[in-house]
Amino acid sequence: MKNNILIMSKRLIYILLLLLLITSCGENKQKKDDFSSEFEIPDSQRYAGELAISAEAMDDIVENISSPVEIAALIKAVGVPYSKDYLATTDFVDKYNTSFKKALGLGIFGADLGYQNMYNKTGSVIDYISAIKSLADGIHVGQFFDFTTLKRLATNNQNLDSLMYISVQNFNQMDRYLTENNRSNLSSLIVAGVWIESIYLLGEVIKKSPNSELSEKIGEQKIILSNLMLLLKNYERNPDFKVLVADLAEIQALFKEVTITSILGEPEMVEEDGMLVIKQNDKQFIDISDEILFKIIDKTVEVRNKIIQL
Amino acid sequence: MKNVYKIFTLFVVFLLANNTLFAQSGQELVDICGMVANQNGEATYLKDFQIKLEASKAGEEQQSDRYSLLLSKNTIYRFSICNSRDFPGEAILQLFDNNRLLGTNYMVATGNSYPTFDFRCTQTSVYHVFVNFREGKQGMSVVLLSFVERF
Repeated sequence: MKNNILIMSKRLIYILLLLLLITSCGENKQKKDDFSSEFEIPDSQRYAGELAISAEAMDDIVENISSPVEIAALIKAVGVPYSKDYLATTDFVDKYNTSFKKALGLGIFGADLGYQNMYNKTGSVIDYISAIKSLADGIHVGQFFDFTTLKRLATNNQNLDSLMYISVQNFNQMDRYLTENNRSNLSSLIVAGVWIESIYLLGEVIKKSPNSELSEKIGEQKIILSNLMLLLKNYERNPDFKVLVADLAEIQALFKEVTITSILGEPEMVEEDGMLVIKQNDKQFIDISDEILFKIIDKTVEVRNKIIQL
Repeated sequence: MKNVYKIFTLFVVFLLANNTLFAQSGQELVDICGMVANQNGEATYLKDFQIKLEASKAGEEQQSDRYSLLLSKNTIYRFSICNSRDFPGEAILQLFDNNRLLGTNYMVATGNSYPTFDFRCTQTSVYHVFVNFREGKQGMSVVLLSFVERF
C-alpha cells in the first residue's frame, strides 16, 4: 500500500513538473521579444553620458521620423524605374567596425532594402539582408532580424509583401529594444542612416528625372530633419556624434531657404465604402528653389558618401 | 492520498485560471492587426504601438498612452486597432495635431468603434495619438500604422 502511494506521489510530482515546464514555456512565448536577459551588452555600447534633454522629454521622441517605405513608395509612384546604381555597396561591411558605424550602416542598408522591396527586386536583396544581419549582430540586436525567413522569402521570390512586413517590423523591434535598454544613441543612428540614404535616393532620382512632387518631398524634409537633429544633439558629447551633427547642420542650414506655410482647414470624419476616413483638409505650401534643391542634394551626397566610404 | 489529489487539483485550477497557457502575446496581436490593416492588399506596415493599461480606479482620471508621429502630406495612412481577447478593455484612439482633435475610431453618438480608419494627411507635421480603454477598463491592444498611398 505504502509503495502504491509512493508511486502515485512520484507520478503526480512528474505531472506537476511537466505542467510547470509547459506554463513557463507559455510565459517565454509571451515575452519572446524580451531578450534583454539573454544577451550581454558591453558597457561601451550603453550610453552612459548625460543627455542634453531630460529623460522625460526623451519619452516624447517622435516616431516614424524616417521610414524606408514612404520615400521608396513615392519614387515608385512617380514612375521612376529602379536602379541598383543608387544603392550603397555591401562589399565593405567589415569596415563598419565601431558601434557608431554599424548603427549608421544598418540605417543605410535598411533604406536600400526598403527601396529594393518596393520594386520587388529580390536579386540583390540577400546581400543586403546579410549585411544587415552582420551589422545587427555587431551591436547585439541580431536576434531581432529574422534572417532565415527573409532569406527564404527572397530566394523563392515569393510572398514579397511578407518580406517588406518582416523586415520593417524587425527594424522596429531593434529600435524598441535599443530604446528600452538605454541604447537610444544607437537607435537614433539607425534613424539617421535611414533618413540620409532615403534623401540620397530621392536626390539621385531627381537628378535623372526632375519631378515637382519629388522636389517638394525634399523641401518637406526641413520639418523632418529638425526632429532628427533634436534626437541626435542629445549625444553630441560623443565625438562621432558631434561630427555627424555638424555635417547634418550644414544640410539644415540650407533648409533655412525653404519656406513652408500652412492654412488650417476643418477636419472631417466620413464613412467611405464602409471605411472610416479622417480628412484633415489643411493646406501646406512648400517653396523650394531649384538652386537650394540641388545644394541640398549635393550636400546630402557628400555626407552619405563620407559615411559609406568609411 | 486524498490530500495529494486535492493539492494537485487546486494547482491545475490555479494554472488554468491564470490563463498563462494561451495568453495572447503582443506580437500575435501585431500580426493579427497587420492582416486587418492589409485586407485588400493595399497597406504597407510602418509602425506598431503596444498598449497595456490597468483598470482606472473610481474617481481617478482614465489612464492613457500617448505617441508622437511624424506624418507626411498628401499621404493616406491607416490606423488599425486590435484588442487582446485576454482583457475586457476596448481601445479608443484619438488623433491630434498640435492642438486639435482630428478624429477618433469611437463614435460617441452611436457607441460604435471602428477597428481601422484612414487618415488623409495634408500637412507634414508631428501628430499625437492618444489611446485609452473604454470605461477605463483594463486592456491590452496594438495600434498599427500603415502606409496606404500618396494622393
